[in-house]
Amino acid sequence: MDWSQLWEITSAPDNVPIVAMLFLVPFFTWYGLRQAVANDRLIAQLEGDAQLAKTHHRKTQPWRPGWAKELHVWPFLMRIEFLAAVLVTVLLMVWSITLDAPLEEPANPNLTMNPSKAPWYFLGLQEMLVYFDPWIAGVLMPGLIIVGLMAIPYMDTNPLGSGYYTWRQRRFAIAAFIFGFVILWVAMIIIGTFIRGPGWVWFWPGQTWDHNVQVFDLNRDLHEYFGITSAAGKFIFGGAVVTLYYLVAGWVVHKLITWNEFNRKIYERMSLIQYLTLQFFLTTMLALPIKIILRLLPIHIKNVWVTPWFNV
Amino acid sequence: MSTEDKTLEQRPVAAEGEAKSPPPAKPSAPPAKPAAAKTAGQTAGQTPGQTRTVGGKTTEGRTAEAPMSKMRRRVVWACIWGFLAANFLMLLRFFLPRTIFEPSNSFRIGFPQDFAFGVDTKFQQQYRIWVVRNAERLFVVYARCTHLGCTPDWKASEAKFKCPCHGSGYDSEGINFEGPAPRPLDRAQVALDPEGQIVVDVGRLYQQPKGAQTQFNDDGAFLRV
Amino acid sequence: MEPENEKGKSGVGLLDRVRGQVREQVPVIKDKVKEEVESLKDPEKTQLYKSVFRVKHDDTPRNRSLGVLSNVFLHLHPAKINRDAVRFNYTWGMGGITFYLFIVLTFTGILLMFYFHPTKAEAFRDILYLEHDVPFGKLLRNMHRWAAHLMVITVELHMFRVFLTGSYKRPREFNWVVGVILLVLTLLLSFTGYLLPDDQLGFWAVTVGTNMARATPLLGHEGPLGAQLGMTAYNDIRFGLLGGSIVDANALLRSYIWHCIGIPIVAGVFMGVHFWRVRKDGGISGPAPVALESEIKPVKKI
Repeated sequence: MDWSQLWEITSAPDNVPIVAMLFLVPFFTWYGLRQAVANDRLIAQLEGDAQLAKTHHRKTQPWRPGWAKELHVWPFLMRIEFLAAVLVTVLLMVWSITLDAPLEEPANPNLTMNPSKAPWYFLGLQEMLVYFDPWIAGVLMPGLIIVGLMAIPYMDTNPLGSGYYTWRQRRFAIAAFIFGFVILWVAMIIIGTFIRGPGWVWFWPGQTWDHNVQVFDLNRDLHEYFGITSAAGKFIFGGAVVTLYYLVAGWVVHKLITWNEFNRKIYERMSLIQYLTLQFFLTTMLALPIKIILRLLPIHIKNVWVTPWFNV
Repeated sequence: MSTEDKTLEQRPVAAEGEAKSPPPAKPSAPPAKPAAAKTAGQTAGQTPGQTRTVGGKTTEGRTAEAPMSKMRRRVVWACIWGFLAANFLMLLRFFLPRTIFEPSNSFRIGFPQDFAFGVDTKFQQQYRIWVVRNAERLFVVYARCTHLGCTPDWKASEAKFKCPCHGSGYDSEGINFEGPAPRPLDRAQVALDPEGQIVVDVGRLYQQPKGAQTQFNDDGAFLRV
Repeated sequence: MEPENEKGKSGVGLLDRVRGQVREQVPVIKDKVKEEVESLKDPEKTQLYKSVFRVKHDDTPRNRSLGVLSNVFLHLHPAKINRDAVRFNYTWGMGGITFYLFIVLTFTGILLMFYFHPTKAEAFRDILYLEHDVPFGKLLRNMHRWAAHLMVITVELHMFRVFLTGSYKRPREFNWVVGVILLVLTLLLSFTGYLLPDDQLGFWAVTVGTNMARATPLLGHEGPLGAQLGMTAYNDIRFGLLGGSIVDANALLRSYIWHCIGIPIVAGVFMGVHFWRVRKDGGISGPAPVALESEIKPVKKI
């Protein structure tokens, strides 16, 4: 266990934000879900008693009859905003006094650093380059992520949970988002920061970053396992595999969407376009971890579909 | 339902279905102070810093604040203004770098023998100087018009320096005789280095202001050749 | 009237008359001066002060509202908000913190611009100069860099919070879209800024990034179908971004302009829309009263 290597990575000034993320993301996930649980308890209580549902204050925050429902922005909100500004400024100044921004040697087109890493917020994309063609990892997937995020409000037909934390009322949406954000996006950043070393080789935390390590990756395209060699054969085979994937994944996603009574109710509210869009984004999102797993498994699949113009 | 503004600082009092939420982290200090001021009729046994009022009213004006809150307020504001003042001073200092990279004021121009009598414009482009030599002395004139700083031209046919900007005229030794120039052209410091080369320093200029003691005869203002 | 003799002179004499008048005026002037000095002791009452500064108001509800509504900097806020919306554990404050960081970055960025030349010959040197020869230059550069990283974190946490509270649902869908655009702009600002020090870190990060651009389908000369459309290294989208086929002086200058002027203006416009939409859509979304499953209304069939 090479602690000094681990310390070297975590203490690099440019990695400090990721170390901070390691604490912040779980903390805020817990913070939000904690309130969700409290709200869910209230909801369960109200659902059990129709009379209570009519009269009870519908929030977990305290309120008594006679209390004003609104507060003046000045002074209450302004005070809080001012305090937040002060705290952020103090944090920023202390951080800036203690840690120096990095500055490497002057740009040299003839000498690439090893490892050569993108800024941390793009490390997720750089990690994807291992498993996908450059244009897919660098253009298509980011594009789909952006469009997919934008499409969320238009695919979500669940009217509950608007304006308060809840888990029980929005399980599907929250699980999907946490999967995409925490498990895919944040985890890929963590891998890119702490795990990927020289040569973009996989080093477990605690392993020394050896610049001369030899890695023998025997990656095969999927069609090789089936003995297909002709260009047309590869094209058809790959196309069939991808189609099959979407069908199977689509079926799995459908099962999740219609998992229980409540989900089915929401499903019935969806239009065809909403349903298909949701299916597309979810199945494509799932393709990423599946491709990663296919690469890591002993079968070491590099591409599932090989064509003269692109590989997937 | 009355329209009173309750203080923000209501600690949850057995709210139904609420998980134990921690008291909001920060506003225990700042909000308490105006809150303490705003509520009249506070229930007994309250410390100025914490309000647990259930029946407070906002008043139209300020009630007397507890001295502790007033003090705390002053300290907080003093810190904030102090911080801003310190940053302002830092901002001002920021605009004055500690080192600069500008061409040197000091340079060599060759040997005295290299220069004939009269005005030599050899170094006007490179160093902004004219070398003037007569029977008694050699001196270096700085080619900056003493009016507003343009570079005059040497008119050999008229034996004068003429400034194109506002028409100031100087004779062949740099003494002003026409135009708005207030005094003759300044002269740069000259010395001989161990090899015998002339070393000019335009960072040190000698003037002959009108109505004041001339510096043109000072040491360094000319070379005796 | 003083008696006059033939020559027209007053009997008392001009000098005496003047002296008399002065003697009369002096106490009057003295009183006036004393009055004005007294008034200066309370500068808040002077015309100068009153024309510039607002008067202290009594703390009434009306005045509290006006304090926000009639203030050029604050009037983006409503006069009142839901009592629970001020709680940190609902909003986490991340949106506001992100905006504050944007302001900090603009301010520190402008100061850094005073010492930065976006040329290959000088960019790297200028960073060293800032760190060693400019008073507080190191602090400023560090603040700029760390604020940038912090802003990316807060923008992502803000997105996370908005999702968890379902604050993208009707009628706030479009504001979510604007938010995603702002997220992309934040990342682009960070990316363009990364290249500016012209060091190995920035140079290779941008090389990798723009190399991905050349693999864009249709628009990149190494992407699918790109060559078929006549894309070469000298006219594809990567060329357009870099101003050349290599990451060199043109790329640096373009990065600088995108970073300092282009993207901030676009981001400013979108921020304006984003904040305005918050108000238009009904203010901070919550915490809202919980809704029950039994209360779901059926979808209106058109």
